[in-house]
Amino acid sequence: MRMKFSHLVTSFSLTLVLMIIFEVITSSLLPAIGWFEYRLAFNVLVILFMAIRLNAPILPWLILALQLVHSAFSIEGWALGTLAGILVMILANYLKELLQLTSPIIAMLTALLFQIIWFTTVAVILCLKISSFEQFGTILWSFIPGSIVLAVLSPIVFSLMNLIWRVPAEGFSPGVEI
Amino acid sequence: MRLINETSKAKIVNNLIVAVLAIYGISQKKFTLEEPTLFQRVVMEVISPMQKGISDSHKSLSSLWENYISIVDTSKDNVMLKKKISRLESDLFGMEEIRQENLRLKRLLNYSTEVSEQRVLAQVVGWDSANEFKVIRLNKGKADGIMVMSPVITDQGLVGYIYRVTENYSDVLTILDQNNRVDVLVERTRTHGIVEGVHNFKCALKYVMRNELIEVGDKLITAGVGGVYPKGIKVGMITNIEKENTGMTLAVEVAPSVDFDKLEEVLVINPQYSVQAAL
Repeated sequence: MRMKFSHLVTSFSLTLVLMIIFEVITSSLLPAIGWFEYRLAFNVLVILFMAIRLNAPILPWLILALQLVHSAFSIEGWALGTLAGILVMILANYLKELLQLTSPIIAMLTALLFQIIWFTTVAVILCLKISSFEQFGTILWSFIPGSIVLAVLSPIVFSLMNLIWRVPAEGFSPGVEI
Repeated sequence: MRLINETSKAKIVNNLIVAVLAIYGISQKKFTLEEPTLFQRVVMEVISPMQKGISDSHKSLSSLWENYISIVDTSKDNVMLKKKISRLESDLFGMEEIRQENLRLKRLLNYSTEVSEQRVLAQVVGWDSANEFKVIRLNKGKADGIMVMSPVITDQGLVGYIYRVTENYSDVLTILDQNNRVDVLVERTRTHGIVEGVHNFKCALKYVMRNELIEVGDKLITAGVGGVYPKGIKVGMITNIEKENTGMTLAVEVAPSVDFDKLEEVLVINPQYSVQAAL
C-alpha cells in the first residue's frame, strides 16, 4: 500500500496540531500543576512513530518541520532534535522488521530504547557545544524519569498517531505518490 | 525493483541534506542569546495565548481557593499584618533618613549617579518544553518595552535575563540553566565567583579559591560586572561546601533565593544608566 500526497498533507497537518497540544501540555499545564523538574519530550515519540511506521523519502523534511515547531517552545532549537531524529530514523529503518509496535509492552520498550538513543545523542552534542563533558552524566540522568513516563504513555500516543496516519498493520511500502 | 532503488537513493540524499543542515544549525546555535526567526515569532505569537490561557485558568482556580475557601484565619492575619505595617513604616522612616544622608554625602564628594530604569511586571505563562533547558516564558514582549538581555527579578531575588523576545512574549534564561553564568559576590566576605545552573533546581558557585573563608549560609549577590545585572541583587545562599582532594577551587552548592516552583510574576528591568562620575 502506498500513501497518497493528499493523505500525507492531511495526516501531517493533524500531527502538527497534536504536537502543539502536547507541547502546550508539557510547557504550561504540567508546570501549573506542580510538575516542574522533568519535561515530557512528546516530540521524540511523535518522530519515533513516524520513523518506525512510515516509509517516505521526505521523512527527514517532516522531522525538520516538527522540530521547527518544537523550537518555538524550547531554546533547544530545531537542529539538535533534527539530527537526533535522523539518527533514530536510520536505526529504526534497520530494525523495522523487529519493531511492529503490536503490543503495549513492546511499544513501551521500543519507546524507552529509542529515547535513550535520542537523549544520549542530544547530551553528547550539548557537551560538545559547551566544550565540557563534566555534566554529561547529570544531563543524561535528568532525562530518565521523563523518559520512563513517556514510555508508559507511548501506547496511547502511538494509538493516536495510528488514527491520524491510518497506518495498516504491515506499514506502508516505500514511496509516496505525489 | 527500479522504484525501490530510486526511493532508497532519494532517502539517502534527503537524509544527507537534512543532516548537513542540522549540523550547520547546531554550529550556529547560541544558548545564551537568540534573535527569533520569522517562523518562530509567528508560532510563538499564535501559540503563547494558549499557554497564557492555561496559566490564567490555574491562577483563577488557585485564587478561588485562596479567597473564598481557605479564609478561616483571615482576621488573625489582618491583626498581624497591621502590626507588621506599622513596624515597616517606622523602618521606612529610618531608611529615608539614611537616603537623605547618602545624598548629602554624595554631593559633598561631588559625585552623582543617575539611574533611570523602566520596570515591567510580567506573568509567567510557561516553561521550556525541553528538559535540559530552564527557561520561562513571559506574557510581555517588545510592545511592553522589554529588550533582550534585560535582567529579570522578583522580590526574592534574581530570576535571569531575557533570552529572546517577540512582539508580545519573551523567554527568560533563568539562573538554573547551565548556559547562564552570573558574576556574584559573597555578601559577607566580598569573595568573587560565578554562579552556574546545575540540575535539580540548584546552582553551583565556581572559581572560588580553597583559601577563601566562605561558610554554609553565606548569601550571594550580583557583582554588577559584565553589564547584564545591576549590583546587589540577591542570587542565593550557600548550602554545601566541599574541598576536593585535587584542584585549586572549592565545590560550592547554592540554593537560589527565588522559589522557582512558585514563580508566577516577575519584574523585568530595562536599565538606562547615565553615570557621571567626577571624583
